[in-house]
Amino acid sequence: MSGKGGSATPTTYSPSPQNQKKPKSLIFKDDVDWVRPDGRGFQHCRPAFLRTGAVSAASGSAYAEFGNTKVIVSVFGPRESKKSQMYSDIGRLNCNVSNTTFATPVRGQGSDHKEFSSVLHKALEGAIILESFPKTTVDVFALVLESGGSDLPVVISCASLALADAGIRMYDLVASVSVSCLGKNLVIDPIFEEENCRDGSLMITCMASRNEVTQLTITGEWSTPKIHEAMQLCLDACMKLRMVMRSCLKDSASSQE
Amino acid sequence: MEAANPSGDLSAEMEVDAFRRLFPLRFFDRHLVESIRPDGRPLGRARDTTLALGAVASADGSALAKIGSTTMLAAIKLEVMTPATESPDEGSIAIDFHMPPICSPMVRPGRPAEAAPVISKQLSDTILSSGVINLKELCLISGKAAWMAYLYPEERNNMNLKVDKLWNFMITIVDIYCLDADGALFDAALLSAIAAFSHLEIPVVSLDEDGRVVILSQDEGLKTSNEPVNAEKRKLTLSDIPFSLTCILYKNYILADPTAEEESVMETLITVVLDSSYQLVSLYKPGGSVLAYTSALQDCIALTRHRVQELKKILDEAMSEMEVD
Repeated sequence: MSGKGGSATPTTYSPSPQNQKKPKSLIFKDDVDWVRPDGRGFQHCRPAFLRTGAVSAASGSAYAEFGNTKVIVSVFGPRESKKSQMYSDIGRLNCNVSNTTFATPVRGQGSDHKEFSSVLHKALEGAIILESFPKTTVDVFALVLESGGSDLPVVISCASLALADAGIRMYDLVASVSVSCLGKNLVIDPIFEEENCRDGSLMITCMASRNEVTQLTITGEWSTPKIHEAMQLCLDACMKLRMVMRSCLKDSASSQE
Repeated sequence: MEAANPSGDLSAEMEVDAFRRLFPLRFFDRHLVESIRPDGRPLGRARDTTLALGAVASADGSALAKIGSTTMLAAIKLEVMTPATESPDEGSIAIDFHMPPICSPMVRPGRPAEAAPVISKQLSDTILSSGVINLKELCLISGKAAWMAYLYPEERNNMNLKVDKLWNFMITIVDIYCLDADGALFDAALLSAIAAFSHLEIPVVSLDEDGRVVILSQDEGLKTSNEPVNAEKRKLTLSDIPFSLTCILYKNYILADPTAEEESVMETLITVVLDSSYQLVSLYKPGGSVLAYTSALQDCIALTRHRVQELKKILDEAMSEMEVD
């Protein structure tokens, strides 16, 4: 047990009891009468708190809080593309999503989330009018402050608000909602515990007023009628979320005058 | 009426914003001559500062500090460690300063900002050397020996002592995230770290069967057979809290608490850290084109002294608000 000279970082462990006991399964999937841990109905989304102008250093920014999921998105640009990139007649979109080390209850690494970054890119690029900023790049950076379930849909909706705050031209605001399948039940906007024991998930990003879907992800086991039901649920929720986003933008615009 | 230099002519016609971008030094000179800065502050005044404790629910202690637009979020997590052999009765503190890409147009993902490791090192040096946290207080199992000796019956003749170390100290890992970078990053980071330490509560722990330390949650505390090692949640005692102020030296002016624009245009920075009894903890002047004579240093220290009073009040108010809740 010889200690090295200087400040060697000894191995440490976190004393919180979660990783030592098996988590009690709060959810009985086949029982129709179970209640969600936060008391919502199966088809109720969490109340959304949205604010634009969170970061003064950015061209546009937004902060979103859906229950325990808290996200900040900054948009920089349009600004000069990297010299190494080839000439492009239309604009470029660059997305990056990362977590803080305290986003999860057990301290994590806080590194970039490459998969989320690429899904965010795909969700947004259909909605942005890239021709309006040729030869330049718009950077969208997201930081997940706290991960309480359904992180990616919140990031996408918040990014769309930040783009609107930055004045980047888009066809419509994109709103994103996900649905999890737990046994026979469909729950919308799942929290962390529900996501852990789900059988399948469906995430939709759409431009509600144009009725166009920019991105759709389905994982797990689904039957065709269930998919139809889930999609309809999501599209309705997206339309309502878009209304909330729109009123947030109107409030911030009117408070600036 | 013809001005000799062409930029003088242009300045009469140009918009303020364009003049600010094209001739930043002349823009600031025009203001400093009137003893005022572009955002309306007098030269020695810092921006409005706010503190919110307990911003992150999942962390053991946290704080959000805002100086003007510069926003820092500090969160402390506690982990259990074995003490190092050189200092067997002390825990340790690890401070990590992150500048995520959201905070500033200068930061790119994958390429960390230049300022981040510099401020990280500055922060850990300042906090450790100021002695604000007594590392011996980070002991989880007080009153029990750190070493336990087992004497095995079959080896009694040989008197072989098997010595086992107990994991019984804490390492506090402080993560500070810059959410908005608008100058004076070190000041805001230090303030948020200190506020997070003052909010930190060490939870009730006990040992389980394997000798590992486990946090007792509220409802379990009464039912479990493990006896809690410490009776109740406790806070660390902070002695001699360090507060800092960054100033810019420009010609013969001293500007307190610069914004990012001022920092980029006028490069000579000096950071003074005083503790709550007005003793000097650290003085940091990393080069710069302006040389600091004794009088300038004394002026900076005087400005910092005034700032320490303001910050002490703000920290006390934030802590008393938490207690009321």
